Amino acid sequence: MPVETDALAATPAADPQPSAERPLLVASHVSRHFEGVRAVEDVSIDVLPGRITGLIGPNGAGKSTFLAVLAGTLPASSGTIILDGDDVTALPAFRRARRGLVRTFQLPSEFAQLTVIENLLAAAPTNRGDSLRGALLGKRYWRADENRLVEQARDLLDRFRMSAKESDYASSLSGGQKRLVEIMRALMLQPRLLLLDEPMSGVHPSIVGEIADYCESLRDDGLTILMVEHELHMIERMCNPVIVMAQGSVIGQGTMTALRQQREIVDAYLVG
Amino acid sequence: MTYYVTTLLVYAAVDILACLAISLQFGVSGIVNFSFIIFQAAGAYTAAVLSLPRDTANGGFQTYILGLNLSFPIPWIAATLVGALLAPPIGLVVLRRLRSDYQAIAMLVLSVIASLVVTNTPAFLDGAAGLALVPQPLSDKFNPYSDGYHWAYTAGALVLAVIVFFIVQRIINSPYGRSLRAMRENEVAAKALGKNAVAMKMSVFVVGGAIAGLSGAILVGFITTWAPSTWLYPETLILFAAVIVGGRGNNYGAVLGALLVPVGFEEATRYLPTFGPPGLIPALEWVCIGGLILGFLWFRPRGVLPEQRRVFAARPKPIEATEQYAGRD
Repeated sequence: MPVETDALAATPAADPQPSAERPLLVASHVSRHFEGVRAVEDVSIDVLPGRITGLIGPNGAGKSTFLAVLAGTLPASSGTIILDGDDVTALPAFRRARRGLVRTFQLPSEFAQLTVIENLLAAAPTNRGDSLRGALLGKRYWRADENRLVEQARDLLDRFRMSAKESDYASSLSGGQKRLVEIMRALMLQPRLLLLDEPMSGVHPSIVGEIADYCESLRDDGLTILMVEHELHMIERMCNPVIVMAQGSVIGQGTMTALRQQREIVDAYLVG
Repeated sequence: MTYYVTTLLVYAAVDILACLAISLQFGVSGIVNFSFIIFQAAGAYTAAVLSLPRDTANGGFQTYILGLNLSFPIPWIAATLVGALLAPPIGLVVLRRLRSDYQAIAMLVLSVIASLVVTNTPAFLDGAAGLALVPQPLSDKFNPYSDGYHWAYTAGALVLAVIVFFIVQRIINSPYGRSLRAMRENEVAAKALGKNAVAMKMSVFVVGGAIAGLSGAILVGFITTWAPSTWLYPETLILFAAVIVGGRGNNYGAVLGALLVPVGFEEATRYLPTFGPPGLIPALEWVCIGGLILGFLWFRPRGVLPEQRRVFAARPKPIEATEQYAGRD
């Protein structure tokens, strides 16, 4: 039984009225079973626009599986997923991505033998040369799109201070740089909802803060983010609300401050 | 001597075409198409049965379907189309749901099944004996035994190889080629970024199938025979060895591999002095092909000519203030 808190109402005054906001994503009674193993069981959440929503919980809680189900990487066993009023439950991952529901992965998933800028360009959705027909029609047909997207990718590289790595193979980057590439790559799709799966895991502590800064900056630009993460101090800094999962179910949500007051949640996850 | 050289060059053109197709499918897109040879065989059989007269001709010593006696270039065009059209049914079965390693196994099995079916249904394409006396292109207008014909045929085959080279080059150097390489590197991530991996794989499967079909037509038009023994599944492995040696994902590597392995290596072994029991040298050839694949995967996995790094032209530097105003005051 989820522990409901009044934490959202207790958020700072600058925060918009949550009840008045229309959720960007509504997941209702979502379950995902693997041959009898209930990895995600009857999870319902709302993701509010323009915020970073945190998704935390112990290992094996089903967070990454739930994220994969939201993104369409794994099909839901039951339940519905509504993105901005449209039911996307039956759509495969690539169609959800084209509708603006874009994810990153728990393990580095860079395109290793592509350069950094190629990683970004490969994600761009609006290149006339990105089809067999367009390719066969030749460079003259797609050059303008390509030039525009190269500029867009370079702007992102500038913003994430990765310009010097533009022509390096993604395989040669450090763990933290690979995370940044994945985030930039997702941003090339101009997503409506960005699903980040442990973007700070395995990353040097100096880059953890940098990733948090970038996420906050993206939120300030209006991007909605749902983030699975174990770095609780960063979750506390960035996320509102925070959803806690354990054993495949949601056991509570609210601000981190409020969640720390909940005995069940502290026992399940927030030890210390 | 002319026949020897032209035969070698026609084989080179055919192997270059095959390696370009495999490089596009395997090197660029990551599809391990171990059934490649059946696409080439389908093209060869199509060109043959469309060129041949009815099977009652020539004393009815062979049985086959069609026998439409069509003139060049219709059989070659049809062979290219059949190679392309064979791709969707195979692709729908193999490429949609299976992971890449299972795809490879399924394609290998398919290759074996196709060979067995053709071998054991003599009424279809003359079974194990295969087709012979396939009319050569334009042989009704020119003497196919003349040196001039052989050189013209060779030139035609090489021109087609060059055209296909530029078509494949155009694909792999485009944004679509980049997406194919992204799919090769991480298919799940590519899907999560909006790439329709099944459609992309299908498209290169069709293009590769068309190239394979054309290569089969060119070959059967020159050697005038085609039988299951010429397209056993190990032939695909030789082509894969060529692409791995040459450099997968690089068209120049595919050409180099085609010249080094199926043409150069196999031709060089002809000149070895005979030793050991009969069949030892061909058996050792296979050992060497296997050794080449393992050696390159171990020591130089990206081949002799690796895939090129794509670098974009640098942004023009902003004009410095001193430069902007230089000479104005």
